[in-house]
Amino acid sequence: MSDETLHIPVEKARSPLAEAWEMFRQNHLAMVGLAILILIVLGAIFGPLIYPTDPYEMVWAPFSPPGQEGFLLGTDYLGRDILSQLLNGARVTLIIGLAAAFVTVAIGITVGALAGFYGGAIEEALMRFTEFFQVLPTLLFSMVIVSLFGASLPMITFAIGVVSWTAVARITRAEFLRIREMDYVMASRASGAPGMRLMFTVILPNSLPPIIVQSALMVGSAILFEAGLSFLGLTDPNIVSWGQIIGSNRQYILEAGYTVTIPGLAIFVTVLAISLVGDGLNDALNPKLRKR
Amino acid sequence: MMPELLDVRNLSVRFPVGRKGTGWGQTSYLTAVDDISFTVRKGETLAIVGESGSGKTTAALAIAQLVAGETSGEVVLDGQDIMPAGRDQLRAMRRKVQVIFQDPYSSLNPRKRAEEIVREPLDNLTNKPAREKREIVDRLFQAVGLRPEQKRLFPHQFSGGQRQRIGIARALSTQPEVIICDEPVSALDVAVQAQILNLLRRLQSEFGLTYIFISHDLGVVQHMCDSVAVMYMGKIVEHADRLALFNNPQHPYTAALLSAVPSIDPTLRDHSKRILIPGDPPDPLNLPAGCRFVSRCPVAQLHCRELVPELTGNGTEHLTACHLVDADLVSPMQAVREAE
Repeated sequence: MSDETLHIPVEKARSPLAEAWEMFRQNHLAMVGLAILILIVLGAIFGPLIYPTDPYEMVWAPFSPPGQEGFLLGTDYLGRDILSQLLNGARVTLIIGLAAAFVTVAIGITVGALAGFYGGAIEEALMRFTEFFQVLPTLLFSMVIVSLFGASLPMITFAIGVVSWTAVARITRAEFLRIREMDYVMASRASGAPGMRLMFTVILPNSLPPIIVQSALMVGSAILFEAGLSFLGLTDPNIVSWGQIIGSNRQYILEAGYTVTIPGLAIFVTVLAISLVGDGLNDALNPKLRKR
Repeated sequence: MMPELLDVRNLSVRFPVGRKGTGWGQTSYLTAVDDISFTVRKGETLAIVGESGSGKTTAALAIAQLVAGETSGEVVLDGQDIMPAGRDQLRAMRRKVQVIFQDPYSSLNPRKRAEEIVREPLDNLTNKPAREKREIVDRLFQAVGLRPEQKRLFPHQFSGGQRQRIGIARALSTQPEVIICDEPVSALDVAVQAQILNLLRRLQSEFGLTYIFISHDLGVVQHMCDSVAVMYMGKIVEHADRLALFNNPQHPYTAALLSAVPSIDPTLRDHSKRILIPGDPPDPLNLPAGCRFVSRCPVAQLHCRELVPELTGNGTEHLTACHLVDADLVSPMQAVREAE
């Protein structure tokens, strides 16, 4: 047999991420969640441009039920258009969700990575610090922060982030403790990688999957958190968010239930979609479920 | 005879262990490797054999300064002590001493491509330009029998044997003098084992490599090595060249180990009786005062319990740590065999 007839099929390089996407695509529920999420994000970006009614202006009589006089979702207690509020509020709600999740992940990864990588006294101190935050009642603590420092958007974001980073820190530490003992970390050390490089280019990328899943779910819980704070009135009344719509209409919940139900449904669907995507990510990134 | 390349003197590794019952400020230590010394000649292979927990892997990794425990002693490579390494010295040492790991499934970073894995030591330890590094990686892929188009693949796309070839290429990339092979084939199928062992031997003669070969498989050791050190509970109990050790094992533990190697030759099988050593190894935190093998030794005497045997050759090259071995090189086990 000559060399020309010898056909070795050339295998294509498939990164672990590409394989995860393959897995994710086969998960129907996760894809539905992703589709809903994309729709919501598109609505938040382009909705106010297509439907330019001012969400802060009184446009019709108060408590006009959905579907009347051209106002698709009706008006609230001040006669403001709820559809417009919903579209504009989506921006704020999503931004708070993402920003709070980012704060959460930033604090959580830093604390967890340092604790898991260095161990010993550093780990001990950082984990006691984490536990201190874990035992604080989260809603109460964030209410304290917001009422002390004012209900501006950055402060609300910060308050949500500060009370919910502990889960990420614990997951990061656990993953670091596991990955730290892997042979390829020792191999990297034998190859001369200094400590910082080990931490950020070897251990961190390999411990990311559960952190990614957790952060995705964090976006959902941050949105819920913001809604909770807004419902209690701890929000910027001049900026419309879904939680703020509910909060400002809550006195009229019996007379005009739709003013609360509609933004509530929007929150429900968004958080559900995020959870579905998070679940799909979990399956896709978990190598034990990945078929060979 | 080639000069000695690696000289390990009084190497000890101990790990602090927290145990219930010890008070504040008291740390007890587990001594995994206890004051061992050996030398390896250039271009040769020293096998370190022993059962699990004997300290063989810890000893070898301590030479490459990859253990977390407290290490003491001297490791002299080419006349230079490489132990008290600062940052630059450590880099220089890592260029000269590389490691092939046991499990090819966990020793390759799953998020890196094969070529990146092989290039990592070059990136971290040398200042070579990118083009030269690429050429070195190409040559290494060829040398270990991988196809150039496999460079872009990720570890999970390779078989176990191929993965170990990547690990070997990585260890070779900085042109090291000493390669520590930590049971490099024990995770592989038997057929693949032979391929990898032959590859290691070919590379050794091609590049003039010196191997420290950790193994518990005496068949593999016989195939690969020039000299053998047998470890038990952190101590070297016997160190001799391959033929001397396999033909005339002195220490009772070595004799028992060798008798456990299955033979396919029926006459040999009937002829050689397996020597059974009863019991378990002693608690490493509470070692016996005298010889560490005393609790399981079939020929132990009273003074074995009190005196620690020195590793000595009685004037020969065949070093044994046993009170009952004398200069005539007659194993104390001879009496046991004849009695049966």
